[in-house]
Amino acid sequence: MTTFDLNGKSVAVEVKSTTTLLDLLRVQLGVTSVKKGCEQGECGACTVLLDGLPVTSCLILAPQVDGRHVTSVEGLAENPLMKELRNAFMENGAVQCGFCTPGMLLSSYALLRDNPHPSEEEVRAGIEGNICRCTGYVKIIEAIQDAAERIAPE
Amino acid sequence: MRPLTGFELLRPRTLVGALEIMATLEGAQPIAGGTDLIPTFRDLGCKHRNLVDLGLIPELNYVFEDGRYVNIGPTTTHAQLQATNLIREKAQALHDAVDVLGSVQIRNRGTIGGNLCNASPAADTAPPLLVLDAEVAVSSLDDSRWMSLQELFAGPKTTTLDPDELLTGIRFPKTEGSGSAFHRLCRRRGFTLSVVNAAAYVDREGETCRSVRIALGSVAPTPVRIDEAEGELEGKRMTEALIDEAAEACRERVSPIDDVRGTAEYRRDMSAVVVRRALREAWRRAGGEL
Repeated sequence: MTTFDLNGKSVAVEVKSTTTLLDLLRVQLGVTSVKKGCEQGECGACTVLLDGLPVTSCLILAPQVDGRHVTSVEGLAENPLMKELRNAFMENGAVQCGFCTPGMLLSSYALLRDNPHPSEEEVRAGIEGNICRCTGYVKIIEAIQDAAERIAPE
Repeated sequence: MRPLTGFELLRPRTLVGALEIMATLEGAQPIAGGTDLIPTFRDLGCKHRNLVDLGLIPELNYVFEDGRYVNIGPTTTHAQLQATNLIREKAQALHDAVDVLGSVQIRNRGTIGGNLCNASPAADTAPPLLVLDAEVAVSSLDDSRWMSLQELFAGPKTTTLDPDELLTGIRFPKTEGSGSAFHRLCRRRGFTLSVVNAAAYVDREGETCRSVRIALGSVAPTPVRIDEAEGELEGKRMTEALIDEAAEACRERVSPIDDVRGTAEYRRDMSAVVVRRALREAWRRAGGEL
């Protein structure tokens, strides 16, 4: 039995060693905001927070999260920083197809939580592990900078 | 859903427990962050293995200094090293590398021991550790020894570790009045493998270079030290012209191959460029001027 905290709630599941955290979340637990892209740890669409840090859930075996905290965007629905990020993404046109958005939001959230006033360079580095094939990143970077200003004005 | 295949997962809680598994179980394969290993399990028909997860073993995760050495546990993640002042101050080249290696997500998961044991010729932590004169501890159930990092690498993706052995420690001597730096050349800035990477360490005495170490990655079957280039600099007054000579010596000594990231010819030429950058920066960090 693997027991872990998912978005603030304790979850206990029987899961095979060969199941990734990504498949556990999507298939067994129905958390489909966590997207399946490359399954190689390259695209970042499956990003979740593991004990608060962004990781690619396709590179984690489900039993490895035993006793730990896993957070997807749902777990931050009421979080003030995530709310600002969500609004900024919508208002700045940072979402097109939306496939990268949950991962992008989680990486942006971790970035601004740890560094409330990032430079553009730091914003780019913060989302280096998240690929977006629609926007060319410009709107996403603007949205993150916008959220940073709203949440922590200089 | 394309399931992973070909392994069982074991999660020992002590180093002795892990070493017992390594000694007794056929096909035992250590796994730390899994960032290099797990993608390989999507190849159907890969050999069945017993994965030995080192992630629950506290004895393998640490960074501390003692009288002589900076000591790093093999399951220390790149992000942990990035956030450690001791590494920033005493191992600048290594800090440069863990700052740019992989992506945020990979650095949060990938470990320094994994980066070394994966034995990629392009491993970004290898040239810094080579120039810092790092040693690695290799342990089995009935033996433990220190050897130079260079001895760990046998070839592309191959180490000299026996099937029952684990890399259990990394250490390098602390020095004063020295500087080190890591530079790499990539096809883009973020989340990519090095086309060529290099690290340099210099020990400065006034305007003279007392000792120097230079290492390159992605230009030979393993990460390599270039002794001949080091000889060009040692005991001499450091100048731009001398750095150019050492960089040229590196260009002549490397043995790169063509691959998707670059041609052998390009890698050879860029070896000199990346070494020059690393040497200049290491010298400047040691307090030297050019």
